[in-house]
Amino acid sequence: MIGLISNLISGVSLGSVYAIIALGYTMVYGIAKMLNFAHGDVIMVGAYICFCGINYLSLPPVVAVLLAIIACTALGIVIEGLAYKPLRSAPNLAVLITAIGVSYFLQNSALLIWKSDPKVFPSIIKLEPIHCFDGQLTIGGVTLVTVLCCIVVMVCLTLFISRSKTGKAMRAVSEDKVAAQLMGINVNRTISVTFAIGSGLAAVAGVLLCSAYPTLIPTTGAMPGIKAFTAAVFGGIGSIPGAMLGGILLGVIEIFAKAYISTQFSDAIVFAVLIVVLLIKPTGILGKKISEKV
Amino acid sequence: MLKVDNINVYYGAIHALKGISFEVNEGEIVALIGANGAGKSTTLKTVSGIMHPRTGKITFLDEDITHTDGYKLPAKGLAQVPEGRRIFLQMTVMENLEMGAFVQKKPPQEDFENVFTHFPRLKERRSQIAGTLSGGEQQMLAMGRALMSHPKLLMLDEPSMGLAPILVEEIFSIIQEFHAAGTTILLVEQNAEMALQIADRAYVLESGAIALSGTGAELAQSDAIKKAYLGG
Repeated sequence: MIGLISNLISGVSLGSVYAIIALGYTMVYGIAKMLNFAHGDVIMVGAYICFCGINYLSLPPVVAVLLAIIACTALGIVIEGLAYKPLRSAPNLAVLITAIGVSYFLQNSALLIWKSDPKVFPSIIKLEPIHCFDGQLTIGGVTLVTVLCCIVVMVCLTLFISRSKTGKAMRAVSEDKVAAQLMGINVNRTISVTFAIGSGLAAVAGVLLCSAYPTLIPTTGAMPGIKAFTAAVFGGIGSIPGAMLGGILLGVIEIFAKAYISTQFSDAIVFAVLIVVLLIKPTGILGKKISEKV
Repeated sequence: MLKVDNINVYYGAIHALKGISFEVNEGEIVALIGANGAGKSTTLKTVSGIMHPRTGKITFLDEDITHTDGYKLPAKGLAQVPEGRRIFLQMTVMENLEMGAFVQKKPPQEDFENVFTHFPRLKERRSQIAGTLSGGEQQMLAMGRALMSHPKLLMLDEPSMGLAPILVEEIFSIIQEFHAAGTTILLVEQNAEMALQIADRAYVLESGAIALSGTGAELAQSDAIKKAYLGG
């Protein structure tokens, strides 16, 4: 029983990281209708920047994390402006290939800058673990912080999207770019803001991911990126609560598969579940299909 | 107020508007009528900056807006109710109206009340998701949304499309209410009969060029119009 709870907590924690990454995918998809496959690699860049800030510049961890967030936000805006904006009216396939190109570009730039040898990510979360049930169940500090971060991000983002003027403009642009423009909304700027937010969140996810799994190499972001993308599709791409739900479910399924079925097959099981869900509900768990009235 | 001077607009290689010129003076209702594919919607899209002409000039309130980015125009007093309404279906009625007032910092309550006086039905449905409204209510919302930006010139693209005759009457009388409140109107319609009834002046478009122009009453009497659009 304790084992089950312990696995569930690990799953929710891993899932929280997926969820934060998935938010980036889903927001960008919702607004620009494109799959930003470079998103996973922004996570890696964020983790490296945080790593450098602490190891080479001896910054306090909080400052290093902030630096990573700012750098990734800027990186997101630059990537969008240089690689995707010129392709705004190009076919989706061209944008998709470009995104894959950006992903390779980031990975190989990281390889040039930081070399291929694994870096050990410093442990920056110093929270004491919590012991429950007379010490039978231990919840690590990283786990707690990860879940907490995920909740804070979710609440802030939901409030931002539903209440703020920019958030509403983002929803308007995601629904209908031409109509949004007729309202006086600067569509290009709104898309840039979305990339900025998504990439800033990627930095947070990078730090959390590397705090839990402290090996940092240029391809660190690739697999979590793919899984978070899966999570976004799983929950219903374009939906923010969907990304959250998809991420957490995916994390829990992965950990349970590892614990009770097979470590080697855990990824296969995760993707098999995705296939089954999409067969039953092609729009994902919370995905909506809106039909237009004429 | 609005002066369109010899614009040529292309969709790739297709020459959609061939040297169209027309004028809308302050306080007028001007109608652009014509058959499907004549270039009416393209004309509106070009004025509102969704498309840009290859040659020619568009001036609005003595300012050259030929190549101005479309999103800057609502702040200058230009609003468009697009073809097919294009309201934000997943947002509430209130949020749609707020989007209409996007160029203002914070729209005053009176602006919402003003919309609700014209469209009492929207008030009842204010917190409903716009996608659940009927077609007629969606058209009203699209018009109310455009009104929120206090336009000097309101352009309506086929407001009667897909609506029952009784609703068409209602929509047209509301257009006249807007006009009476001081808004200049540029109306694109296939329903030539209705459009000519309320228009001060009208232009008839035919395959991307202006074929005829005159006052609404003149054109309504014209044999060519009767034959082509009014069914005898």
